Amino acid sequence: MDELYLDNIDEYVNDQDKIVTYKWLSLTLGVHVNTAKQMLFHYLDHKRKESSAQLHATYLVSGRCVDNGQASHKVSVIKEDKLEDFKSKMSLIVSVHVYSVQKALLKDSGPLYSVDYDAVKDNMKNCSKYSAIRCAGAVPVSSVEQTREIQRAPSPEPESKRSAMNGSAHQASKPSTKPQKGIMGMFASKTSSKNQDDGKEVKSEQKEEAPVDDAPKSKPAVKANPMMNFFGSQAAKKPEKTVKQEEAPPSSSSVEQKRPQPEEEEKQAAVVKPKPKDTQKESRSKTKRVEESDSEDDKMDKKKRRRIKKPVSDSSDEDVIPDSPQQMETREPSPSPKKEIKAVSHSRQRDAEMKTRKRRRVLKSRTFLDEEGCMVTEKVYESESYSETEDDFQAAKPAPKHPVPAKRPASKPDEKKSQKKNSANANKGSKQASIMGFFQKK
Amino acid sequence: MTTLTRQDLNFGQVVADILCEFLEVAIHLILYVREVYPSGIFQKRKKYNVPVQMSCHPELNQYIQDTLHCVKPLIEKNDAEKVVVVIMDKEHHPVERFVFEMSQPPLLSISSDTLLSHVEQLLRAFILKISVCDAVLNNNPPGCSFSVLVHTRDAATRNMEKVQVIKDFPWIVADEQEAHMQEPRLIPLKTMTSDIVKMQLYVEERAQKT
Repeated sequence: MDELYLDNIDEYVNDQDKIVTYKWLSLTLGVHVNTAKQMLFHYLDHKRKESSAQLHATYLVSGRCVDNGQASHKVSVIKEDKLEDFKSKMSLIVSVHVYSVQKALLKDSGPLYSVDYDAVKDNMKNCSKYSAIRCAGAVPVSSVEQTREIQRAPSPEPESKRSAMNGSAHQASKPSTKPQKGIMGMFASKTSSKNQDDGKEVKSEQKEEAPVDDAPKSKPAVKANPMMNFFGSQAAKKPEKTVKQEEAPPSSSSVEQKRPQPEEEEKQAAVVKPKPKDTQKESRSKTKRVEESDSEDDKMDKKKRRRIKKPVSDSSDEDVIPDSPQQMETREPSPSPKKEIKAVSHSRQRDAEMKTRKRRRVLKSRTFLDEEGCMVTEKVYESESYSETEDDFQAAKPAPKHPVPAKRPASKPDEKKSQKKNSANANKGSKQASIMGFFQKK
Repeated sequence: MTTLTRQDLNFGQVVADILCEFLEVAIHLILYVREVYPSGIFQKRKKYNVPVQMSCHPELNQYIQDTLHCVKPLIEKNDAEKVVVVIMDKEHHPVERFVFEMSQPPLLSISSDTLLSHVEQLLRAFILKISVCDAVLNNNPPGCSFSVLVHTRDAATRNMEKVQVIKDFPWIVADEQEAHMQEPRLIPLKTMTSDIVKMQLYVEERAQKT
């Protein structure tokens, strides 16, 4: 192979100050990813020997490790100085290769994702053209088939979970499966693996395809497990997804039709992590409403992902679903302010739906004269009526640690975070308001 | 394709909103990357579909938001020529200045389908560039602080002084010591041209930071 690529990489790294990841390089130069990895390695080697301008590199390490007595397969992006340390902790190393080369020492992994974002977005149709992961069975569904399946969707099958197709069926976006988790599991894993989520909760919708074949059915059941175990991985590149389950007729196996992109699926297959699923796959007895999703948002989530899209079904909200281990619900984060994020809990959701004024408990100081004629100031919880939109921005409990400004659209991620935090608080707030309301009415 | 003029205030407000959101994210990111504040107060959030670091400290957030709230009317009327984030050392001498030069075309013509996603892409590139800027900049001395300066066209600040946009948050004319930097080195970072705004980001760095 000629040595021109060395000059190319040199130009990207030194002249343009870019972060060159192997995926970006393969898409830009049009070469297979393995070739790109080798190119980066040679470039690094070359430059290190020349000992010219200082370069930093990150590596992708994948292998088995035993964590607290539990064997798992980890895929991590590691900075160079921590590489040897990390490798020594692994019991079996499956693969180590250069992930990226850049001039700057990166403080966190965010830019690594940003780098690939645009390159992949531009090449959505053939982003796996140069990939090393292949699956013969994974073929993109043609649009004809997609429309056919959408039309078949309304007819329910008893043994499989299903719901009506989203009316605005956007076939362009490829639905993909999501790991299944109960709602409590999401909270539990969220608090514990917050940093692993990269602070991002990407939720997408669940779309169910009516005709579910057995073969794909069993595959999701198997894949759901490794998918969930991604929470244990420190792969910084791919955003983590949380999926919550929506009500549906009970079904013991996952019925989401999976249309994975080849790379994604095989990556899942390659990465099998037997993590305990009890906390995460708890079933919920109460149902949650899935937010009405336009698939436009799904289209905008362009990274390779599995999604199960499911439209809202109104009647489902009230049903109590018997135990089903595979219930899940997906939600989509909305970068745009026009989408609301539905709250997690059942009761809160109803309030969100109705957008009514409700009462909540607020700590207030009350000053009054007691029997001896002394002024007494005491703090009491009083129920106060407020409207729904305010609640989105204000915590129900006093003195929150992270006050969210009430009117800044700029802090949308802020809003999302606070809503997640508040949903737990609001849960308790709304429940207690109803009890305290009885006592406070004077 | 709709052609809107500056008098169409709704659109001007939309542009100002977009820019102020971007500036807020950019300021947080600059504080993170240049280590003005310890990285413990920062938390990963998502903006423009990519992860960014935003601070959790309420007073810092409030300060930045109040600052930008005051700047927003200037941007709406296209009076703000430059927004500068100055990083100063302990003696309040500037060591680095991140200059966002922006100008809006007088006649905005937009085709709304691809406009916002295009702008988002460009802003994403800005964010990425700020993240890697420490490759070209020397390290700052410890104990730095920051401030935000706005260079306006003409005499727009006269209005600002008369009308306090936010109570108890006065803007003052910057003194020479803060505005002027000795022996600056100019490092361009990124430019973008779009239908709604032209923006350029460069860094002026003091040659000797000690």
